[in-house]
Amino acid sequence: MATDAATAASAAVRGRARRQREEELLVWPDLVFIEFISALVFTLMFVLLSIAINSPLQDRANPANTPNPSKAPWYFLNLQELLLHMNPALAGVIVPTVALIAIGAIPYYDNSHEGQGEWLSTPGAGRLVKLGAFVGTFGSIALILWDAAKHVQVYQLIFGKGSWPASLNWFKSARDFQAWLDTSAYSPIPEGLRRIPLGDYLLRTDLLGLTEKPIDLTVNIPGLIVEQIIPVTLMVGLPILLSVFAWRIGWAKTRRDHMILQFSGFLAVYFLLTIVGTAFRGRGMELYWPWDNPPVIT
Amino acid sequence: MATSERPESRGLGDRIYDLVFHSVLWQSIFRSGYPNTPRNQMLAIATNVFLHLHPTRIHRTHVKITHTFCLGGLSFFLFIGLTITGVLLMFYYVPSVERAYQDLQNIQTNVRFGFLMRNMHRWMAHGMVLMVLLHMMRVFYTGAYKPPREFNWIVGVVLLVLTLLLSFTGYLLPWDELSLWAITVGTNMVGSAPILGPPQQFVLIGGFEVGPAALVRFYTLHVIGFPLLAATFMTVHFWRIRRDGGLARPL
Repeated sequence: MATDAATAASAAVRGRARRQREEELLVWPDLVFIEFISALVFTLMFVLLSIAINSPLQDRANPANTPNPSKAPWYFLNLQELLLHMNPALAGVIVPTVALIAIGAIPYYDNSHEGQGEWLSTPGAGRLVKLGAFVGTFGSIALILWDAAKHVQVYQLIFGKGSWPASLNWFKSARDFQAWLDTSAYSPIPEGLRRIPLGDYLLRTDLLGLTEKPIDLTVNIPGLIVEQIIPVTLMVGLPILLSVFAWRIGWAKTRRDHMILQFSGFLAVYFLLTIVGTAFRGRGMELYWPWDNPPVIT
Repeated sequence: MATSERPESRGLGDRIYDLVFHSVLWQSIFRSGYPNTPRNQMLAIATNVFLHLHPTRIHRTHVKITHTFCLGGLSFFLFIGLTITGVLLMFYYVPSVERAYQDLQNIQTNVRFGFLMRNMHRWMAHGMVLMVLLHMMRVFYTGAYKPPREFNWIVGVVLLVLTLLLSFTGYLLPWDELSLWAITVGTNMVGSAPILGPPQQFVLIGGFEVGPAALVRFYTLHVIGFPLLAATFMTVHFWRIRRDGGLARPL
């Protein structure tokens, strides 16, 4: 009996191995051919593209003449867009660093084998992509429009010019909120707490040889709230809310589900900010329609 | 019948075939014969230094175009294309503030195929950034970062950063208004980091503003520093794909 079982088992193993072999192709020619063709097609495509469109060469660099707007290369315009809404150190350095570390950490959090090797193969993956992309896109659009005080313009279009109530001035944009915190009689921050001088004994950069003098630190509380605390709360809080929402309605159950949701949301925000920064920002980095914009050449 | 057992007379085609593919020269280069039998096809992959990054056999689903869209391979292809066009551009380009812009004009107007090479270099550079981003999306949505491939995902993230840096350092080289201000805006972002930002920015552009020192630094990083780093990480990336059993498969 034991021998029979062993024979049957080994036959099954051999059968499996044979089935796997039948599923396989030879790399030469089946893969090498595809690689060769795609290399050929892309070479041709880039030659044609390069014949059709010339790369730009503007006037010789002149440090005395700052163009308006001055823009980074397109793949950094997402960061430059963030820069308009928050503290420069946060937008230019901390957010990208944290984002890259978080992306690198994905496989160590989502370490199961589900959904591996096939496009969106876990149940409900498609709707999670759509949910993440939808929330990321429209959430960012709403926030950008709000920070550009577009809701005020809409209000004035309906109720006439200058009709925006002064008591709602804090709700115009992030900058207006900061000014309101800083100067308004109704500001919740007592006047003595708006600037907190910490002196020059905290940041002893002179000891490290970075600066000649230690940095004289004064904490600007309204600035801290508007430029740092609110953006960080939004950037951390909104994704968490989204995940909790998807979990409560039963769409996101596993870690893979949450990662699909979050990564899709991130991609949507990333592409949206890049597009807004590239095509919708004109003079003074104000919002413009692309057709009203001075042409942006990369 | 007796006649059928006699070897057929060999035609001209067979003779030429023998002359080429069984010649000492062919054998000395490729070791195996023409890849028209499974054995020779596998040897063609296994005995070739460039092709042996591939396994000799591959699962049927992995050659489906819609599984990978060739995105990783095309990123590498663009890297090679950029190296070739970049080397050609280097013949005519001197990274000095006095000459750079003039050299660019010279490449565009006086060098045969110069404008074409410059265009190809630029569009391929943009293409590579896009391709690497798309490749990352493909890997994510096919769940190909899962164990045992976790670390290769990190190597991929490093390669994405290197791709951006390669493109960014190249952006300054034409020394026109676009490059100067794009790099000024970009490096100001670095400088905005708390405490360590300003010294980092100083090291990066070799001064307090983008000038001759920045041009030499960006050029050196662009043509040798980052390409070497990228090539190193690519080697690790490809080697690990192979060691981890090729593309991810559903369990």
